[in-house]
Amino acid sequence: MTAPALDEVYGYVQERCLWQFSSRAWDRTENIDGVLGTLADLLTNTPVNPSSPTERLFLADARVLADQLRERFPDLGSLDAAGVRALLESLRERVTQVAITQSRNHELHEKAY
Amino acid sequence: MPMVLLRCDKDIPEREKHIYLKAPDDDPKDFLPLANSPTIPGTLSERGCAFCGAKLVIGGVLKDTIQMIHGPIGCAYDTWHTKRYPSDNGNLQIKYVWSTDMKEPDIVFGGEKKLEKAMHEAFDEMPHLKRMILYTTCPTALIGDDVKAVTKRVMEARPDVDIFTVECPGFAGVSQSKGHHVLNIGWVNEKVGTIEPEITSEYTMNFIGDYNIQGDTFLLQQYWDALGIQVIAHFTGNANYDDLRGMHRAKLNVVNCARSAGYIANELKRKYGTPRLDIDSWGFNYTAEGIRKISTFFGIEEKGEALIASEYAKWKPKLDWYKARLKGAKMAIWTGGPRLWHWTKAVEDDLGVEVVAMSSKFGHEEDFEKVIARGREGTYYVNDPNELEFFEIINAIKPDVIFTGPRVGELVKKLHIPYVNGHGYHNGPYMGFEGFVNLARDMHNAVHNPLFNLARTDVRATPVVELKEAV
Repeated sequence: MTAPALDEVYGYVQERCLWQFSSRAWDRTENIDGVLGTLADLLTNTPVNPSSPTERLFLADARVLADQLRERFPDLGSLDAAGVRALLESLRERVTQVAITQSRNHELHEKAY
Repeated sequence: MPMVLLRCDKDIPEREKHIYLKAPDDDPKDFLPLANSPTIPGTLSERGCAFCGAKLVIGGVLKDTIQMIHGPIGCAYDTWHTKRYPSDNGNLQIKYVWSTDMKEPDIVFGGEKKLEKAMHEAFDEMPHLKRMILYTTCPTALIGDDVKAVTKRVMEARPDVDIFTVECPGFAGVSQSKGHHVLNIGWVNEKVGTIEPEITSEYTMNFIGDYNIQGDTFLLQQYWDALGIQVIAHFTGNANYDDLRGMHRAKLNVVNCARSAGYIANELKRKYGTPRLDIDSWGFNYTAEGIRKISTFFGIEEKGEALIASEYAKWKPKLDWYKARLKGAKMAIWTGGPRLWHWTKAVEDDLGVEVVAMSSKFGHEEDFEKVIARGREGTYYVNDPNELEFFEIINAIKPDVIFTGPRVGELVKKLHIPYVNGHGYHNGPYMGFEGFVNLARDMHNAVHNPLFNLARTDVRATPVVELKEAV
């Protein structure tokens, strides 16, 4: 088995997940880091114990995405924990780049909502 | 290539920044239509005004509230009962609207006295109504009527009433989007937290950005009831004014229409720490996903799965019947903004329909980021479209059906292309599982309507029967 390519996983996440497209850059950063961090824990069978409403929200988004990725990319199972985390770190960088640092959205850095 | 200057726009070349044609291997960082920007003079824009965004879209949905419009009668008439959002108390919000009926002398000498009189009259005529939203319009804003001072005097004279002022005249922004913004921010600053709601469940949420179009809220409420979740406020479908004053007590804000109501969810997160969960509530796949996320947040996953299984058993066979007959149909979505990204993958995944053109009247660049991420290659993405662009794109993509409003819909019908009301629906509700079957049925009836084939036939091409005059 071969591990799923970053492009494929990114393509799916980009199409599927609304949390990367929040109104402002700081919300996008919080969501991207929070959801993908929780996703890494779920995909590596690391216990997730949310202690705040925001962490429960990340868990809700991440669990649905974890199930979708497992179904869509069964080869994820061929990766060990380090491999999964490396893939998801690359994914986090790609999502951050497209949705925040290189986004052409003029409103991302406005100070108010 | 990806940014397109249509032939009809040759004299307004600025339009090239607003029209994107997605090509294979486009890098999403490189192309994004300009949006939420002023309409270019000379283009026949389809946009609504900022006042309309506040009144017709959000405030006017409330079922127990006097809608007092301080302006000429036309501002009230044009935003009165043109959108189908029923309520469970006799549809007060559809039947009635109130206006100060400003005339030329009022503009010259000021309208505050007339406004105060009208507000008292409204409360006197309908003494069971104790809540009011007061909107300014272009002329009353331009002459500088101090509506907050008038509101203060009326509330002092009537301690049992509560009034919210929306100072968002039509010219305040580039589209109706500004009205959404002003109402959202004003409400959270002035009204949220002024009432303590009765809490009846340990699971509480606000459902934000659903306006009960043809009963969407009623349908979704069945799901929340099944899950044991108390919706403190629907923002604003079938809602009471005071429901929205208690939004600060919800544990979760679930957002459907992020364009018209994302602001209040953001502010509730900032001020009260309430997390914001964005979902799509149209489509089978998406609705199931939304229910799963909400259930996971509250730790009631089993209930969520049972609900999804029950709804799938009931409605999926019906959806599949339509899917078999709609597969490959080409659809255009010409609506306000969020329905583009809510619908494009939903109709593709659930019904096999290909969305070949989308346009947005008031979406921001955030909406285009979402829809381009989800939409197909070879599809047009247009900001603030005009009629000539519609014609040119229709010729290029030959859609089988167009989801749009009645104004544009009647236009395309003359080209013998069926339309389905993408704003107020044909025969909704369209949200949720049952709702998406309704949408599929309306799309099926449009695409396969035999009358359009007859209408397309040019009878002049057949031998003309000579009519003889009776003798």
